[in-house]
Amino acid sequence: MRDTAVNLPQDDAPDRPAPGGGASCHCCAAAASPGVGRPGEAGPHPAAAAGEARAPCGAGERPAVEVSRLGVSLGRYEILRNVSLTVPPRRQTVVIGPNGAGKSTLVRAILGEIDHTGAIAYSPERPRFGYVPQRLDFDRHLPLTVAEFMALGRSRWPVWLGTPRRVRAESLERLAMVRAEHLHPRPLGSLSGGESQRVFLARALMADPDILVLDEPATGVDVIGEQLLCEILEGFKRDFTVLMVSHDLAAARAHGDWIVCLNRTVVAEGAPEDIFRPEIISLAFGIHQSLLFSGPAAPTLAAGQGPAPAPAGPARAGDAAGEGAAGGGGPAGLRAAGGPGR
Amino acid sequence: MTLQTVYDFLGLFYGPLFMRKAALALLLLSVSASGTGVLVVSRRMAFFPDAAGHTVFAGLALGLILGLPVAPAVLGFGVCVGLLIIWLVRHSNLATDTVIGLVFSGGVALGLALVSRYPEAQGSVNRLFLGDVLTLGDGEIALLAALAAASVLFYVFLYNRLMLSCVAPPGHGGGGRADYVFGGFLSLVVVAAVQAVGVLLVSALLIAPAACGRMTAGSGRGMFWTAFAVSLVSGQAGLALSYHPAVNTSTGATVVFISIAIFGLAVLARKLRGLAAKG
Repeated sequence: MRDTAVNLPQDDAPDRPAPGGGASCHCCAAAASPGVGRPGEAGPHPAAAAGEARAPCGAGERPAVEVSRLGVSLGRYEILRNVSLTVPPRRQTVVIGPNGAGKSTLVRAILGEIDHTGAIAYSPERPRFGYVPQRLDFDRHLPLTVAEFMALGRSRWPVWLGTPRRVRAESLERLAMVRAEHLHPRPLGSLSGGESQRVFLARALMADPDILVLDEPATGVDVIGEQLLCEILEGFKRDFTVLMVSHDLAAARAHGDWIVCLNRTVVAEGAPEDIFRPEIISLAFGIHQSLLFSGPAAPTLAAGQGPAPAPAGPARAGDAAGEGAAGGGGPAGLRAAGGPGR
Repeated sequence: MTLQTVYDFLGLFYGPLFMRKAALALLLLSVSASGTGVLVVSRRMAFFPDAAGHTVFAGLALGLILGLPVAPAVLGFGVCVGLLIIWLVRHSNLATDTVIGLVFSGGVALGLALVSRYPEAQGSVNRLFLGDVLTLGDGEIALLAALAAASVLFYVFLYNRLMLSCVAPPGHGGGGRADYVFGGFLSLVVVAAVQAVGVLLVSALLIAPAACGRMTAGSGRGMFWTAFAVSLVSGQAGLALSYHPAVNTSTGATVVFISIAIFGLAVLARKLRGLAAKG
């Protein structure tokens, strides 16, 4: 069962528009009423889509990132174990999971910053990454304008001699992409959380990235800022591969095309409508997420079946994932993973 | 002779040749010290010049013991300590200030221990404590000139990267090998500056102009040039003032005091501006 689920035919599913795609942002609608179908869609999506299989990549497309059997240890402490996942190109992939699940570590491994076991294949082979960090704890009193900040990594021309016109035009263009061109002359330290997040996003775009990586971009950003960020990222979907770590399940559900559920290993991987099901979410997060699925659908886990609310040991988390997938018979198109047999 | 042309030009402002030499030395130092100072302040390593400066005692003593020429021994040892600090910061889980504090004390302890064993080093030690810009020889001025030229290259090629690592996350721009180049280069600047103003005041020579820049400027470019201007003005004004018969003070100390005084004015101006803005 698990094997058939894993070896999905990659090209029989037509490249249908991603749920949550389109011009408008449904972020707030989804946040306000989790579990309810979003306006403008035909029917409540989790149930409607449950039976459909959807391959992460379109026909003939190679995954932007393919991670196989990745493991990361810090000293004797195993952070990630046997992680295998796919990041489809030109889609938004969202990695969700509880604190301590190893989400940021996974991102750092994909960025090539830390040692790991297993393999990571990229398409193109050496992609350019644009990275937006989780916390922007830079020196807020440093006199540096947004324009200078944008030019710093881009231009060899030293900042104390000013910014070349070409770089200036380029950074204005990137800032416009994140609706922040008006911030150009402002000191970096005077920006609000949401503004600096967008400026850092614009800076990540300066590298003309193949893959845009965001580590919890909504941290320290208010609701309006988050909504704006969601809208901007929604618009990027067709141009970039977006890989995002998120705590915001509602936004992940509304905007993600492909969801990776991580808790030391991949608990599940699939389209949002397949992942945002009580049994999957509670497997990854423990029973707390029953809050997200209030009502009769709320899962009631037998004692010892799911992982404890606090992240269990890696072995146990993996086993739990295996049990869940085997016992529950995950929906078609869902990649239940984590067992060593993968 | 080009150097003679420079001295002739400086003769417009200063009479005696040693004054002209000192003026040139301070000018060259402000090129090296202001920009590196801005990076030091931006990277929160204000304690680093103190640590690097205090290594001169150990470097001097080692040079005397091993029979090496003093200047290369002092400079070489200073650079090694600078690189050691950067390495420790990057490869330990200690904060930068802890590492610098440890290396600082270690360097001073080693220096004092060696000097106490070799009393013949003590004369040079006293000179390094206070420095003397008025007795710099042509060789020392040539060294400062080379350092100023190297500084300009350093600012052109590495300034952006080092400034970026103050704002960008580690591993995404900035940092890397540039950190080591910065550590080594900063040590060179500090050790060279010790000859002019002494170990006790060398840190202020770098930090005070940069702090003025940070207080008053609204951009990275502004901070750099403000620091340079403050460094230049305090150097020349300090020299002129200290030589004035009515003042007649130690030049290094006067230079540093003027730069700190400018910093005080910058703080005051900022406060007043803040009050004016509030109406």
